[in-house]
Amino acid sequence: MGQPAREQAVSDAFVALADTLVDDYDIIDLLDQLVAHCVTLLAADAAGILLADARGELRLVAASSEDAQTMELLQLQAEEGPCVECYRTATQVRVPDLSEVAQRWPRFVAAVAQAGAFVSVHAIPLRLRGKAIGALNLFHRTPGALPETDLALGQALADVATIGILSERAVRHGEVVNEQLQTALNSRVIIEQAKGVLAQRLKVPMDTAFDRLRRYSRHNNLRLAEVARQCVAGELNLDDLSLSRSPTGIST
Amino acid sequence: MDGALAVAELGTVTLALLSLVGDRTDEHALAQRICQACVDGLDIDGAAISLLTASSSRETLWATDATAERLEDLQFTLNEGACMDAATHGRPVFVPDLHHSSQTARWPIFAAAVAEQTLVGALFALPLQWGTVNLGVLDLYRAAPGGLSQLQWRDALAAADTAALMLLGQRTDPAGTDDTSDAGGWLEHSFGHRAEIHQATGMVLAQLQISATDALARLRAYTFTHQRLLLDVAHDVVNRTLVFTEEMD
Repeated sequence: MGQPAREQAVSDAFVALADTLVDDYDIIDLLDQLVAHCVTLLAADAAGILLADARGELRLVAASSEDAQTMELLQLQAEEGPCVECYRTATQVRVPDLSEVAQRWPRFVAAVAQAGAFVSVHAIPLRLRGKAIGALNLFHRTPGALPETDLALGQALADVATIGILSERAVRHGEVVNEQLQTALNSRVIIEQAKGVLAQRLKVPMDTAFDRLRRYSRHNNLRLAEVARQCVAGELNLDDLSLSRSPTGIST
Repeated sequence: MDGALAVAELGTVTLALLSLVGDRTDEHALAQRICQACVDGLDIDGAAISLLTASSSRETLWATDATAERLEDLQFTLNEGACMDAATHGRPVFVPDLHHSSQTARWPIFAAAVAEQTLVGALFALPLQWGTVNLGVLDLYRAAPGGLSQLQWRDALAAADTAALMLLGQRTDPAGTDDTSDAGGWLEHSFGHRAEIHQATGMVLAQLQISATDALARLRAYTFTHQRLLLDVAHDVVNRTLVFTEEMD
C-alpha cells in the first residue's frame, strides 16, 4: 500500500469504528470489524481476538479467517503462548521469530510449526488503564518484528474498540465489568452452532458458512449473533443465505 | 494490578461449584447446591433457579427460602420481571435498588408487587445458557439495596457460567451410565467452549432435525459408547467422516 492510500485506509478504519460506536452496536460485530482492519492495515496473514470470560479464561470471539487451522491456532492461544502473557501483563508481546521461543511455549510453537504457515506472532492487549480484557493476535508468514508505527496503529485501533466496550458498560452501571463480555462470548457460541447448521444444510465448508452469515447480516443490517440465533432456531430461510455471489453493493 | 480485570483466582462460589463436578445427582439437588453456594459465598440473602423455556414449561427447581420462591412465583404469574428479562435477552439483569424506578421501568407491575409483598431491595438475575440453549435463570436477592462488589459480581457470572455447563452436562449425560469421569471432562479447560463442539452440535442438529440440547446429548452418547473424547468426535463430525443418522447407536 502506498503512503497516501495507507493514510486513507487508516482514516477509513477509524471512521468506520467510530461510526459503529455511536450506533447501537454489538461487541461481536465491532471486534469482527477490528480484526478485518488489522489484517488490512498491518498486513497480517491471520488475526484473531480472544476475550477473558468471568472465570478468567480466554475465549476466541473473532477471527480473520474461519478456516479450521486458523481457528485451532487461535484457540490454542487461550491456553499457552504470547496471548496469555499479553493478557496477564496488559502489555504487547512481540515474537518476531517463533523458533526462538520453542522452549517457552512448546505446545504453541509446535502447533504453529505444524500449521506451516506462520513464523511470527504479535499480541496487542485490549486494555484500559493498565487492565486487559483480552488480546488481539497477529500472525505473519514472514519473520521480523512489526515496525513500531504499525504496533502503535494496532494498539490505537484496539484502544478505540476497548473504550467503546467498556464505556458502554460504565454508562449502565459503573461497577459491572464482565457481563457484556459474557454475553458476547455466548453470542460466539451461537455463531459456531449456526456455522455447523449451515455447513450441514448448504453442504459448504465452515469458513464459507460464516461468510454467508456475515454477508446476510450486513446486507440486512442485522446483528451477526441475531442472524446466527435465527439460523439455529430454524427461523431463517436458508435460500436467502445460499446466494453464490455477493448481493449488489455489498463488499465482503 | 487490580485483580478485578486481571487473570485472578476463581471466586468462592465458582470454586464451590467446581468441587461438585462429577457428583451424580438430580437436577433439583444440583440446583439446591448451586443456590446454597451462592448464598454462602455472595453478599445476598436468597437464591433460586427456575427453568424458563420458550414453551409453557416453567418450573422453579429450587429456592433457598420463601421470599426467593415468592419472587419466582410473582414473575410467572405476572409474566414479567428481572428473571424473565434475563432469559428473554440472554443477558444478566442487575438491579441494586428495586425502589429506584429507572431500574425497573421494563417491568413496573412486578416491581410494584415485589415492593408490596416482600422486603426485597436488590435483585440480580443471571441467565443459564449455552449458545442458543436456555437452561433457566439464577436469581439472587438481598433485602438491603446495593450492588455487589466487582469481585463478587464476577464470581456470580463465573458461577452462572459453570452452573449452566453443569446443568447441561447433566441433561445430556449418556443415559444409564455410572461413569462420572466424562462429567468432569465436560467442564475442564472450558471444554464446553471449544468451537468444534458447537459446530458439531449445529451439524448434528441439522442432520437429525433435533434441538441443540438433544444434538449434544447424541454426541456425548456416541462418545461414551465408543469410548472416545468428545472433542475428537466433534472433529470427525466437522470433517464429515462421521454423520449421525436415526438408525445409528
